[in-house]
Amino acid sequence: MFEQIKETILQYVDVDPEKITPEARFIEDLCFNSYDFISLLGELEENFGVSVNEEEVVGLATVGDVMEYVEKLQQN
Amino acid sequence: MEKSRVKTLQDLIILSAEEFGDKPFLREKNGNSDVDTSFAQLCENSRKVSSFIAERSNGEHIHAAVIGGTGSAYLTAYFGTVCMGNVIVPLDAQLAGEDLCDHLRRADVSIFFYDKKFAPQLDDIKKGCPMIKTFVSLQDDENSQEFTMSKILESYGAMDWQPVKPSDLSSILYTSGTTGKSKGVMLTHSNLIDNTMCQDNESTPDDVLLSVLPIHHVYCFTCDILLSLRYGCLVCVNDSIFRIAQNLKRFKPTVMLLVPMIAETTYKRIKAVHESSPEKSMKEIADSVFGGRLKGIYSGGAYLNPELVMNYRELGIPIAQGYGMTECSPRISTANWKDESVGDVGTIVNGCEVKIVDGEIWAKSPSVMQGYYKNPEATAESLTPDGWLMTGDLGHVDEKNHLFITGRKKNLIILSNGENVSPEELENKFSGLDWVGDVLVYAEDGVITAEVYFSPEYLSSHSREEAVEQFRTHVDSINKTVPFAKTIHCLRVRDVEFDKTTSKKIRRNQAVQGEKLD
Repeated sequence: MFEQIKETILQYVDVDPEKITPEARFIEDLCFNSYDFISLLGELEENFGVSVNEEEVVGLATVGDVMEYVEKLQQN
Repeated sequence: MEKSRVKTLQDLIILSAEEFGDKPFLREKNGNSDVDTSFAQLCENSRKVSSFIAERSNGEHIHAAVIGGTGSAYLTAYFGTVCMGNVIVPLDAQLAGEDLCDHLRRADVSIFFYDKKFAPQLDDIKKGCPMIKTFVSLQDDENSQEFTMSKILESYGAMDWQPVKPSDLSSILYTSGTTGKSKGVMLTHSNLIDNTMCQDNESTPDDVLLSVLPIHHVYCFTCDILLSLRYGCLVCVNDSIFRIAQNLKRFKPTVMLLVPMIAETTYKRIKAVHESSPEKSMKEIADSVFGGRLKGIYSGGAYLNPELVMNYRELGIPIAQGYGMTECSPRISTANWKDESVGDVGTIVNGCEVKIVDGEIWAKSPSVMQGYYKNPEATAESLTPDGWLMTGDLGHVDEKNHLFITGRKKNLIILSNGENVSPEELENKFSGLDWVGDVLVYAEDGVITAEVYFSPEYLSSHSREEAVEQFRTHVDSINKTVPFAKTIHCLRVRDVEFDKTTSKKIRRNQAVQGEKLD
């Protein structure tokens, strides 16, 4: 899943792929703006066949947080 | 639509139903299929809501609040309230808790139309707002004892509306204020109708809009909803901010109203796809992203980079930029797609006068608000006695009536997504804490930053590390309670006290001095 998310992230921002780690923070480290971030979640929703809840994404800050969230949605 | 016949929102609803009848006005997703509401249905359903309200208001004028996303039920609540002469208070769907109660109380609301997601908060709202006598869920909710929109539409007959006056108050809209507390902008029927009818544009009944902006903003309400009622366009509802890309492909809009951040991000993505698949032209990719029918974009709400306008023109998609504010219903200037000028915010709309006073843009038009609800001090700070609206923005007008914006006089942080963030509102959340000497909130490269000067008293008995830890923890807790657009992402600590005015207010132009925390 990490590789798939990484590939999607690279379609949003022009960053060194090595900077995309589970610890990387979207806004501070990967230069995302808030609309990039929500669009990415929308795309992951489609790619992974899950349904993102607006209230639940408030605390997501790192790539790892998003991976964990998508995995949780898949399990449910 | 014959302009001279449209004086009130009631006229607009009735005439759009007469003129466009069973043609779909609103299209909403329902699983894989779509549900349409026609112009005639919107009018008929709004009359039913008016009957429901009449039964509860005993002939008195009331204020009803509505909170939720764009949808048929939302608009029915809106028009059902205003077309019978009552006042609607559209609220930000991101409000919650005591903030929400505060807005409801200050606007004297007695009927509350709410999105189902607010159902868990109803007990608290009832305690905090005893003046609200009637609650209506916009969606069906089997766990609730409250009224629902669908039951109202089943049970009530259509009301025969009495005429309303153009000068009647129709809505109270909250806008971020520089003092940290939002102010209720009072707009009449004629304010909103003037802004809807003052300027002709290229729209036709064949046009399809995808409405992506929050419906409680007057920019979205006037330009997506009221203009579509005037021209007979179909408005498709974007069901979630997460799904704009999917919905563009699904609904294939011909016209879109955007804030610059969405236009910027979408362009960036088109470019990224082109770089990874150079065999596809940028135009082909843009057609696939936007659905292939887009004639042009209207942009507003924040600064639009002229380079982006040029980039979109190369894709064959013109962007017309406008300017306005809630206090002016909202448009002060607007552009059309044929206008090739760059860097301005369009030409001043018909019927609006603009003058520049000490660099500040002042506007006077039939669209200008009546004042802030129950707030004469704030009204006097924004409106002159002879009706000029002091916008707080700096700019100039050229010989062809193009308006240019050069800066913000006010302290409001305007993020590139169009969200206005009042720094005072966030700064107030640091009050009363023993480790805080002073705090200043501002935008740094588009990121909301909080810069703190620790209390020397606190530092006399605690280490700097402890203070930093308090700062981080407190910002985390603030970020959990505010909408995403208002979250603080950069922290700075300064060792020198802020420079202050004689009245002990921090001078705002001295920020970005403190050390940045990782």
